[in-house]
Amino acid sequence: MSKPQVLIAANPQNGIVWSKEEQNSKLGAVAEVLELTSSSREEFYKDLSSGGKYANIVGIYRHNDSASAIGIFDKDLIEHLPKSVKYIAHNGAGYDQIDIAAATAKGIEVSHTPGAVDAATATVGAFLAISAMRQFYRAEVNVRNGQWKSGLSPARDPEEKVLGIIGMGGIGKALARRLIAFDMKVIYHNRNEITPPPDFPCTYIPNVEDLLKQSDIVSLNLPLNDKTKGSFGKKQFDQMKDGSVLVNTARGAVVDEEALLQALDSGKLFSAGLDVFPDEPNVNPKLLQNDKITVLPHMGTETRDSQKKMEILVLDNLVSALSGKGLLNQVPEQKK
Amino acid sequence: MPPKILIMGELYWAKRDAEELLSGIADVISMESQSRDELFKDFASGGRYSDIVGIYHEHLSDKRTGHPDEEFFNALPTSCKWFAHKGAGYDSVAVHSAKARGIGVSNTPGAVDEATATTGVFLLIATMRRFSWCEANLRSGGFNPKGVEESARDLSGKTVGILGMGGIGLKMVSYIQPFGCEILYHNRRPNALAPSNVRYVADLYDFLGQLDVLMVSMPLNEKTRGFVGEKEIRAMRKGSIIINTARGPVIDEEAMIQALQDGHLGSVGLDVFVKEPQVDQRLIGMPHVTLLPHVGTENQDARRKMEVVALTNLREFLLTGTGPNLVPECR
Repeated sequence: MSKPQVLIAANPQNGIVWSKEEQNSKLGAVAEVLELTSSSREEFYKDLSSGGKYANIVGIYRHNDSASAIGIFDKDLIEHLPKSVKYIAHNGAGYDQIDIAAATAKGIEVSHTPGAVDAATATVGAFLAISAMRQFYRAEVNVRNGQWKSGLSPARDPEEKVLGIIGMGGIGKALARRLIAFDMKVIYHNRNEITPPPDFPCTYIPNVEDLLKQSDIVSLNLPLNDKTKGSFGKKQFDQMKDGSVLVNTARGAVVDEEALLQALDSGKLFSAGLDVFPDEPNVNPKLLQNDKITVLPHMGTETRDSQKKMEILVLDNLVSALSGKGLLNQVPEQKK
Repeated sequence: MPPKILIMGELYWAKRDAEELLSGIADVISMESQSRDELFKDFASGGRYSDIVGIYHEHLSDKRTGHPDEEFFNALPTSCKWFAHKGAGYDSVAVHSAKARGIGVSNTPGAVDEATATTGVFLLIATMRRFSWCEANLRSGGFNPKGVEESARDLSGKTVGILGMGGIGLKMVSYIQPFGCEILYHNRRPNALAPSNVRYVADLYDFLGQLDVLMVSMPLNEKTRGFVGEKEIRAMRKGSIIINTARGPVIDEEAMIQALQDGHLGSVGLDVFVKEPQVDQRLIGMPHVTLLPHVGTENQDARRKMEVVALTNLREFLLTGTGPNLVPECR
């Protein structure tokens, strides 16, 4: 009996980058591995249809990079997947590019890669918090322009500030552990209080408004979905402390960008540290011109170490499912 | 008449602390001399500062009156017996001349630890992850710089070596630990305050050869000038990183730049340079390094702490004859 077919829908040029060996040895042991060659959504739909080269695929390894060729996994694309598809194993902790409801309706199980992203993303969050408080971007620009300290005003210490984490998941916890070392006091909001409590000192705040009022630094660590889209807007900024800092390593679209720009202009925010934007790779020029903030091009897990960890986890999810043991990291919405 | 204390420079954050610490104990006067010549005249017999007993020294005043070198100490009135320097590094102060004249010099260790250690950790993350390159690329209209995934590394599991385990080194240890790095250190002697999971390596080259990142945290003096030179840099692994929050001249800057140019060093994160405020153009031309203009303590809380420690040393000197932070060279 021939092996089930798995499609690698990753970077259209390179496919899987750091784990080709494991792709062959681990996944290749239980599946026939096909690479994505469709260069457009239209062509992809043809390849998925009866008689096409992907007409019998059972599983898909999915990376956001595939969107440049075939677009995101919205309802339309998912409905074009052949009936044979049982699993979509996504590379990434955030899976907002996949319409989970549509997948569930077709009996397709979806996994993601929580845990594998925690350390690297939390490190970005810590970096952004420190850089925003200490105004290090401006300082570096000064050096590179030959101005040394000219025009720089003393910045602020991150030490002993109140850090408010919205979304105390894996990344939120990893961030808390890093910044607690700087004598920060951690408070958090989550849909539910975490019990048993995490192994570091932190206080649950049931009401987001109370968290915002007390925090010197607010970090967004929640997923993007219909409920959270645009959920951090004027009302939330107004509730923040004057001269506070916003850090976002979650998803740009959680924040109302106009409200963010307002808050920066008015001085409500002393600074911000942003790794994500609503329409990457396009970024609002007003943010790019603001030298009081720190911005990064979605570098959360952009290291060879984390990329490999994530790739392996996706492969492991597929191998586990195809071996009859089910996905390892099925998305929470489907686990009810 | 209360004894006179001369403030060379400004008190930016601790004016009120100065009142609390010194009122009733000393007459605090601000230096008004506009040049070195004028200052030396003011110190001389009959001059307005000829009876001062102590000095608060803020290095920006050196712009007007020059460094507190041998000539400076020889020009001081004999009544002056304490020189409270604001700053942890005191390589600009001629401590041996001070000692020869029976003048105590104090610095401000401790007050700088958190702010400097935070700067060190920032540089550690920025260089490992190549964030300066990323941010510059983003701001000029790009997104992820091409090839960054190959050079950017996670901190987890990497080996960080601290050269100089003083107050700042110890603070860096506690800041770095949650990032999952293995931490080693090299020092003249093991430091009993270092946590047990931070390993002391007695041999410098054995130490250097194990590192992904070297963090330089030693004071600058005749023994440490050029301490990290060609031999030491080449003893490190290819692709490794050097962070310097101490003093530029502790590293042989030329050797370091060569090693960056030929790829032996993957990156460097520098808050200090050999000839501040000048920075070698070759470093500025490198997108993959991170550079800061000696802002280690450039924040409000650290600055105030430093001022308070210097003032406290003066107060203690006036009350007891010595201050708590007398530098080792003056003991």
